[in-house]
Amino acid sequence: MALTSIFGGSSSSSGTPATSSPSDVKTQLKSQISQELAIANATELVNKVTENCFEKCLNAPYAASQDNCVDQCLAKYMRSWNAISKAYINRIQQASVNGEI
Amino acid sequence: MSSISQNDLSNLDDGSKKEIMTFLESENSKQKVQMSIHQFTNLCFKNCISNVQNADLSSQEEQCLNNCVNRFLDTNIRIVKGLQSIQ
Repeated sequence: MALTSIFGGSSSSSGTPATSSPSDVKTQLKSQISQELAIANATELVNKVTENCFEKCLNAPYAASQDNCVDQCLAKYMRSWNAISKAYINRIQQASVNGEI
Repeated sequence: MSSISQNDLSNLDDGSKKEIMTFLESENSKQKVQMSIHQFTNLCFKNCISNVQNADLSSQEEQCLNNCVNRFLDTNIRIVKGLQSIQ
């Protein structure tokens, strides 16, 4: 699963007419669900990266910002996200092949 | 965001309802995986990444992240088995 998937690949439909056909409703419902999930994932990511990079880069009494460190930390967090994602999905696939799940 | 009316929803045919349910189930399981990855990254980044001088992962850091996920899952499985055996 690529990191980009959490931001949602599907485009949202906007300006749908008042009377919707069932297939429009279906499509709209799906895209709304995907969008909500993408927002939830992006929010979770922002919160977790902020927490971790704040911890790594800033020290009390927080007199100066550490933009450079924060930028590096963000890049490193994303790379970690991808490494973890790969390791976890490998493990799930392995378990699935072995009939454990 | 334009919202879907109650009326639109109740007008859905059974086939569409079933399709939506299937879609929800698959999104739900994908989301569970995503949330686990968030959790593992949070935990393993704290434990494996000691400095952020370099934006690239060193091979030791990558190995540590990999081990961290796998040991977490081993622990999880062990705990579940342990709890199953005492009930």
